[in-house]
Amino acid sequence: MSASHRPAWQTALVAVTTLAVAFGATACSSASSSTDSASTSSKGGTLTTQFAGVPISLNPALGGSGGSAIFTSLPYDSLIYQTGDGKLIPDLATKWALSDGNTKLTLTIRKGVTFTDGAKLDAAAVKASIEYMMKAGGGDARYAGPVDTIATPDADTVVITYKSAYPDAPYYLSQYWSVGQIIGPKGLADPKGLLTASDGTGQYTYSASDSVSGSSYTFVRNKKYFNPDAQQFDKVVVKVIGDPSAVSSAVTTGQVDFAGVSPTTAATVKAAGLKLVAAPFFTWGLTLADTEGTLSPALANADVRQAIALAIDRDALASALSADYTQPNGQMGAKGTDGHVANYGFEYDVKKAKSLLAKGGYPDGFELTVLTENILDSQTTISQAIAGDLGKIGIKVNLVVKNSVPDFIQGALSKQFPALIWPVVGTNSAQVVTNFTQPGVTNPFGNTYESLNSLYAAAQSSTSASARTAAYEKLTKAANDAGVFAPAISTENVFAIGKTITNVRASALNPNPLPQAPDAKYAWKRTK
Amino acid sequence: MVRLIVTRLLLSVVLIVISSIAIFFLMSLVPGDPARTILGANATPDSIERLRQQLGLNQPLLSQYASWLGGVVRGDFGESVFSGDPVVKLILARVPVTLSLMLLSTLVIAVLGTGLGLLSAVRGGALGRFLDAISLVGLALPSYWVAILLVALFAVAIRIFPATGYIQFADNPGGWLLSLILPVAALSLGGVTIVAKQMRDSAMDVLARDYIRVLRATGVRERSIVLKHVLRNASLPSLTVLGLTVVGALTGAVFVENVFVLPGLGTMVTQATTSHDLPVVLGVGVFFTLFVIIVNLVIDLLYGVLNPKVRVR
Repeated sequence: MSASHRPAWQTALVAVTTLAVAFGATACSSASSSTDSASTSSKGGTLTTQFAGVPISLNPALGGSGGSAIFTSLPYDSLIYQTGDGKLIPDLATKWALSDGNTKLTLTIRKGVTFTDGAKLDAAAVKASIEYMMKAGGGDARYAGPVDTIATPDADTVVITYKSAYPDAPYYLSQYWSVGQIIGPKGLADPKGLLTASDGTGQYTYSASDSVSGSSYTFVRNKKYFNPDAQQFDKVVVKVIGDPSAVSSAVTTGQVDFAGVSPTTAATVKAAGLKLVAAPFFTWGLTLADTEGTLSPALANADVRQAIALAIDRDALASALSADYTQPNGQMGAKGTDGHVANYGFEYDVKKAKSLLAKGGYPDGFELTVLTENILDSQTTISQAIAGDLGKIGIKVNLVVKNSVPDFIQGALSKQFPALIWPVVGTNSAQVVTNFTQPGVTNPFGNTYESLNSLYAAAQSSTSASARTAAYEKLTKAANDAGVFAPAISTENVFAIGKTITNVRASALNPNPLPQAPDAKYAWKRTK
Repeated sequence: MVRLIVTRLLLSVVLIVISSIAIFFLMSLVPGDPARTILGANATPDSIERLRQQLGLNQPLLSQYASWLGGVVRGDFGESVFSGDPVVKLILARVPVTLSLMLLSTLVIAVLGTGLGLLSAVRGGALGRFLDAISLVGLALPSYWVAILLVALFAVAIRIFPATGYIQFADNPGGWLLSLILPVAALSLGGVTIVAKQMRDSAMDVLARDYIRVLRATGVRERSIVLKHVLRNASLPSLTVLGLTVVGALTGAVFVENVFVLPGLGTMVTQATTSHDLPVVLGVGVFFTLFVIIVNLVIDLLYGVLNPKVRVR
């Protein structure tokens, strides 16, 4: 997860995090939220959107993912495009195929595409761009996957071989991820220049002269784009507005056509007659990082971990926050993601929790220090609710609150906290589970879980969508059994759409709508 | 006067060095690491260390400060850690916004505050009592809160003014003014009440003086007495308060710019501080220090204009 400033909400405008939203190779059933496509639309004009934080970088290799990809995806087309419903469609790659047990990805590169620097897009240019992305040291480099080699058998074919199965490869080559956003040769030769001038094949080019760094970023129509029919606007302006009331005011008065709104202001925006689109994004819960019991011996006990998960009153927390955009969730993936199991998950059972706690050797409870932050968890509402619930079964929680995301990350990685509260994301269970099985913020001790790892490997090797879904579901249940994460709620991204904008779609598989698409059918439009 | 100006300029150099040292070391105490902020939660320790080296963050603090200071002497304030833009360029792009806000607010505070204060002192009665009451309210209301209220009422409910944004004067002077009315109102409310209260008290004191009675007895018109004698003499204490209020408004401007999404120095320094963009924070700090020095210099010069006794020889 990377932080944008981005920041309270004041700091959140700076510290908006960009998150990994994993996606299985094929869409699974998920409810999607959308605005209807108008039967008549007009092209041209300016689309003004909002984002809560400044871009981490305008160089795609160092830029952010998720929603903050707006800054780099407009000028840099990606190899593959993900629609609002989560489907993957051709973009710079006209077709692709996974083979050899999901260890080889073969991409056919589109012909007749040029970068803004005039160079032609071909397999060599794609290879050079991906290799640069992997070496540039950006926060998203790891999503390139376990790349072994990148070969270009001919001018239009790229073959990426992975050291281990990587079925999510096509997803991570989509517009939300740095790896798939292809930079031109001139840009690669002078990466610093990319901060002020884009060099991609995207529908728009960055106009530094029309932009105010840190405030508004203007992208003008790229006349060399390979499919002019797909371009709906002459200009796209991304305004950085972090304050929730300012966002609400701006979208309500029509100063922006699209904005991410907070659940607390969503009702106001809706009452003003604007459309709202929402999609599940975060799953919040208590990560029990110290399962080896290094700092907190109690957490080494599986019964204790189960007791903690059973003690959380999910329904009450969801109701308290905002029932419209928050759902109780007893498993790690949000509803609608691949691997989410219907009618399954931890229940709220205080009696059983106490019984398990006693069985684990802690009938009177114990003390637990939990790291949290007040940027994403505004005013630590979620953290305090979880702490309160654990208090009811005798676990005294000491919350240590960090005031910035970087500070939280530093604290988490310091290995001084046995548990932490941090949201996880993923559009399939495999990607969510890596939060707990790979070393990182939510697995600072680098613990390994054999049961989870073997199920993960099996899921990655599954070559059919249905087999992969079945494997993901097993992984979901195994994660609950392992008790590494006590899930509580899922929260949604909420977006306000201006009255004249249509075709905005979001879903659990793609909770961050972007305006452009290589096919006009999927692009945002303005009604006449 | 020349000596005053030269003295102040020399003093400004010292103040800039002191304030930059303070900012530098205070920022070093703020938790967080810009390299990690840039690279994100999933960055490897190697990549973070590489970026820290590139940005010079692995150098000792004193070396980093010396390097920055050396650049400043050559006119180079460094580059933004995030955008790579030269700090001077970033500041120059945003100075017109903040200056517009501050200058208009100062004008409103000075004119309205002085006018209201003088009027209430001369007329007395209900206006005077009202002014006494609202001066406390104006002082207590935070400009951020006032800003949100103004937006809700005059931009969203009754759509007279824009809710957010700034229009360049060169593009549309009328739009520029319209985009600043609500921010200026939010920023100047507290200052108007403070200056008005001070002016009222000062004017009442002057009106009670013997020479005013003599002027009236000699047949000088009341209007002339008020505008020539009372205003001039009562302005001195108010001028000091005005100076302090304007400097205080700089802090308020940071909040107001965020509410109205004005692309000024306030929003820039907010973002830069939380993301540890030290060169930008230092650059803005230097600018703010200069601004305070200039405001104080102007106040001192105006003091000399109004009261020849205090002019520096």
